[in-house]
Amino acid sequence: MVQFHEHIISDLLEDSNGGLVILSSGLALHKLIASLLLLHSPSQGTLLILSASPSQKSSITQSLQSLQNPNPNPDLPTEITSDLSAQLRHSLYSSGSIFFITSRILIVDLLNSKVPTSNLAGLIILNAHNLSETCTEAFIVRIFRSLNRTAYVRAFSDKPHAMVSGFSKAERIMKCLFVRRLHLWPRFQVYVSQDLERDPPTVVDIRVQLSPLMNGIQKAVIEVMDACLKEMQKTNKVDVEDLTVEKGLFKSFDEIVRRQLDPIWHTLGMKTKQLVWDLKTLRKLVDYLVRYDAVAFLKYLDTLRVSEGVRSVWIFADSSHKIFEFAKKRVYQVVRSDGVNLAGESKSVASKRRKVKGDASNEKNANGDSAGTSANSGIVLEEILEEAPKWKVLREVLEEIAEERQNQALSREGELMVEGVEDSSLVLVACKDERSCMQLEDYIMKGPQPVMREEWEKYLWSKVDLHGLQTHNRKKYKEPKSFGVFDGKFKEPKGFGILNGVLPSTHGQNAETASISKLERDALLAAASGLSNPVAENISIGDNPPPTPGVGGCGKGKVKRRGKKALVNAKSSGCEDDVKKREKTNRSETCISDNEGKSGENDPVEVDDFNKGEDGTLYIQKGFLRKHNQGVDAKGLTHAKPLPPVHFHALESEQHNILDDLKPSVIVVYHPDMAFVREIEIYKAENPLARLKVYFLFYEDSTEVQKFEASIRRENGAFESLIRQKSLMIIPVDQDGRCLGLTSSYEAQSLASQNSVTRKAGGRKEVEKDMQVIVDMREFASSLPNVLHQRGMRIIPVTLEVGDYVLSPLICVERKSLQDLFQSFSSGRLYHQVETMVRYYRIPVLLIEFSQDKSFSFQSASEIGDDVSPTNIISKLSLLALHFPRLRIIWSRSLHATAEIFASLKANQDEPDESKAMRVGVPTDDGIVENDVRAETYNTSAVEFLRRFPGVTDSNYRAIMDGCNSLAELALLPVEKLAELMGGQKAARTLRDFLDAKYPSML
Amino acid sequence: SAPSLSVHNRNAILVSHRQKGNPLLKHIRNVRWMFADVVCDYLLGQNSCALYLSLRYHLLHPDYLYYRIRELNKNFKLRVVLCHVDIEDVVKPLLEVTRTALLHDCTLLCGWSLEECGRYLETIKVYENKPADIIQGQMDTDYMSRLTHALTTVRHINKTDVVTLGSAFGSLSRIMDASMEELARCPGIGERKVRRLYETFHEPFKRVL
Repeated sequence: MVQFHEHIISDLLEDSNGGLVILSSGLALHKLIASLLLLHSPSQGTLLILSASPSQKSSITQSLQSLQNPNPNPDLPTEITSDLSAQLRHSLYSSGSIFFITSRILIVDLLNSKVPTSNLAGLIILNAHNLSETCTEAFIVRIFRSLNRTAYVRAFSDKPHAMVSGFSKAERIMKCLFVRRLHLWPRFQVYVSQDLERDPPTVVDIRVQLSPLMNGIQKAVIEVMDACLKEMQKTNKVDVEDLTVEKGLFKSFDEIVRRQLDPIWHTLGMKTKQLVWDLKTLRKLVDYLVRYDAVAFLKYLDTLRVSEGVRSVWIFADSSHKIFEFAKKRVYQVVRSDGVNLAGESKSVASKRRKVKGDASNEKNANGDSAGTSANSGIVLEEILEEAPKWKVLREVLEEIAEERQNQALSREGELMVEGVEDSSLVLVACKDERSCMQLEDYIMKGPQPVMREEWEKYLWSKVDLHGLQTHNRKKYKEPKSFGVFDGKFKEPKGFGILNGVLPSTHGQNAETASISKLERDALLAAASGLSNPVAENISIGDNPPPTPGVGGCGKGKVKRRGKKALVNAKSSGCEDDVKKREKTNRSETCISDNEGKSGENDPVEVDDFNKGEDGTLYIQKGFLRKHNQGVDAKGLTHAKPLPPVHFHALESEQHNILDDLKPSVIVVYHPDMAFVREIEIYKAENPLARLKVYFLFYEDSTEVQKFEASIRRENGAFESLIRQKSLMIIPVDQDGRCLGLTSSYEAQSLASQNSVTRKAGGRKEVEKDMQVIVDMREFASSLPNVLHQRGMRIIPVTLEVGDYVLSPLICVERKSLQDLFQSFSSGRLYHQVETMVRYYRIPVLLIEFSQDKSFSFQSASEIGDDVSPTNIISKLSLLALHFPRLRIIWSRSLHATAEIFASLKANQDEPDESKAMRVGVPTDDGIVENDVRAETYNTSAVEFLRRFPGVTDSNYRAIMDGCNSLAELALLPVEKLAELMGGQKAARTLRDFLDAKYPSML
Repeated sequence: SAPSLSVHNRNAILVSHRQKGNPLLKHIRNVRWMFADVVCDYLLGQNSCALYLSLRYHLLHPDYLYYRIRELNKNFKLRVVLCHVDIEDVVKPLLEVTRTALLHDCTLLCGWSLEECGRYLETIKVYENKPADIIQGQMDTDYMSRLTHALTTVRHINKTDVVTLGSAFGSLSRIMDASMEELARCPGIGERKVRRLYETFHEPFKRVL
């Protein structure tokens, strides 16, 4: 445990009501929580942990396990799910243990008075940045607080930048949690920086040059982004200040733009909307440029061109042309052959040779198939297959590490010195995603050429597929391998007709480029047809010894060593800045305690010991995707130099305990990430004796560096803003110093209505009717029940077969948010829902719920079009009204408006009957299962998926679900079995054909 | 002659003389319309009619809607209140209109522009005898849109991902049978999408309790 964690905990414990803790990302929140949980004793009551993500749950449990190791305590937090019976849940709530629980179950149990609130010690809420006034967690806390005033609510967030979006978000969250203390723990806070900078790891900062083509692409993308931003500014719809290319690199940029544009979204022209989409696409491109290899990048671009098609603005920009061109040049080049007749030699596949850029021998790669079309004779495909510059550097780094180790081992032999700390020989390479991990692993094992070649072949295959389709169109078509022959005549030629049409329109600006692109396509096809068979090709690769690495690769990556730097300097923008910030925090952090705790030096050793036991076992359990063999030494490789054992770690997988589990002595940060850097710092601070060397691989002058630095600046900025907010915050408290929370709109409302009664009827008090609403369990994912409760209605959660809300014996409401509405129209779900509502209720109601901060309309006038089109929402809604004339429609501006409308509709109606409502639509012989929540008993997305298959109908989908376990199983069922399940040969064949249909590839 | 006129009438929207001067009429272009003596504002078919109400007008004459609805006889199966949302602060007036329509057996449809309101009238007329299949879940029948339609049920999967998956695996059955590792190899398919896809395909339809 690092020392500042102790400070955080002692600060937090000071206020018995709890508080909100915001700390920098990567500062081991899971360990902090684990230490906090360790302080919990069953005598205090039960502790519930809300809204933890699965990865958070597992890392908290693991940290707790390692903390508890010396005196094993079986009291690890478990999960309360809806699978447990109501009775069991009740006994768990009063058991005094720690539980993870989802908000939906807790709120339902609270509303049904199934939680003995006096037995609860408190709530811990993670990911506090996701909270809002209307969210279910706020609902839970409000009810919980009204029943138990003494328990604590502790909320945590390690995403400070998300805490500053919107107007005084932190303050609003604190109010809805009824807490009055805000604890800010930025990385630049004194205690934190002291702890982390006492014993910093050795850092080597390596800057790798982007290859000229990558650089060109990057420049072009940035140019296009800039152009898009300028266009956006011209629309005068958005605040220009926020729009910079730097911000454009972050996901949160979309949020900034959307927040500004959402309320007026329907007034925007197509062009502006497209710009917003394009910026998002471009941001991804910048990211993928440094993450993906050249071929995958090109493939992604091709995919984009097909899927974005003619809609995009950016695809037609001048610089975009460069993006495509450069991306292609990194992979292959088309040159006109210089008249030499190459047909003879090009006949055989074997003659295909790698053309290495910069190679003196300047061999022309002739790949034309002599049997091919005439276009071949004029054009030749040169493979370039540029490898990522970082690859080479990574190999060098690993070799260097191995060499150093060897030297050390030699010198140590003489000294016979035994050190206290055992050196792990493991090298950890941290990449952003799983894909890069696998590819780097391949690269380290096999060398660059086979990896690139494999990608290239896959690319070519995807091209040749289309060609096959074109020639064999509507004929018998043979599937490659293992899938047998099937009657794959294409029933829907329209599909790839469109696909086909895209290219000419994007390419064919003039006749010349069109013809060139045709030649190029032929050349590609020829190259692909050269690969006669993927299997055979693989064998031939296996036989050929890989080319020597010295010649291979682009060799462009110039490596510059920047020498050793302290980690801090590498990260923070400047020392003076930091000092200033520290002073600032000191001033505002008035509540920093003097609590000293144990001396920090013992701690890490202890932790170290605890971990040894399960070293390695834990992460293996968790690693769900890949089985990395740890000892990837270079066996079977032509390389003479040995490599140390390497483990590849994907940052996306969010295994926070990876460092503790593996105890690497060297870490190569392949894709720099701020949170991971902090994790390294924490690990080092906890293990001050461990030798740790960190290599950073940056692309010089790239958006990668820019993004990394900007992420630090952004976080610091967020904290500064939070510190300012904290000094101005107004949190109302009652006499006991408890936070009053939000003045609920209900109280104000009832006060006003009382007044009006007094005025009208001379003080005669009208009997205030206790309104109640029956709400379907599944609806607790939305905020409406919360708002209805705020409005003063009693919420009765039950499982409803028909409708979402029952307002009275007559009125049943199906709620649809705008997005849901569109979706459930196209899936046909709405039609069936309305059908059953109409069957059982006198006043069936469809509630169309618009969002408060989005525009109140379906579409802008310009989108309506000239003709009645069946795809338009107007048509669908009209058709619904025509088919169900009894259906009533409520158009609601916001959640609060909905609550008003509900109250007004209920005014002269009887209260609904709970048990009756539950029986509606339930087949009588089945009986009612309590707490049967459909989402938990069904894999809903799989069911929905299944129902969209051709041949699958309302009448047969249940039988299919009964007959096979999962979609994966369905994919393998033979047609006979399907016919049995689906009750017909024709439907079965339709489904089977759809499943096996060859995907029309693009070119 | 009389019979031909009635055929003529049956294919047109009959507009009450009250609506003379309503700029909405300009936007009824896809269907013929003519003035006639009708109780409702727009007679859209044998069994369906519509009343037009601008929210701005409602603010001035809050009782207008109620009286107009009372005039309509009960013969109509579908009684539409076509509400033109032409003011900014909608919550209170819309609440009143919703309540009146709902409690007096009228279907409320909202349009935010005259074009939209006009389109509702046109559509109801044009679709008078149309079966409901376009909202029953049937969609375009070509392979690509069916595939996209199915795959996009998985949250966060977009059209680009569909193309990526399709070209990487070659057919839907192979996508459904793919391992997590294979899915993760596709460019643009991150951790979250991999997990979602894999769960959709491999978790049983019915969860075991």
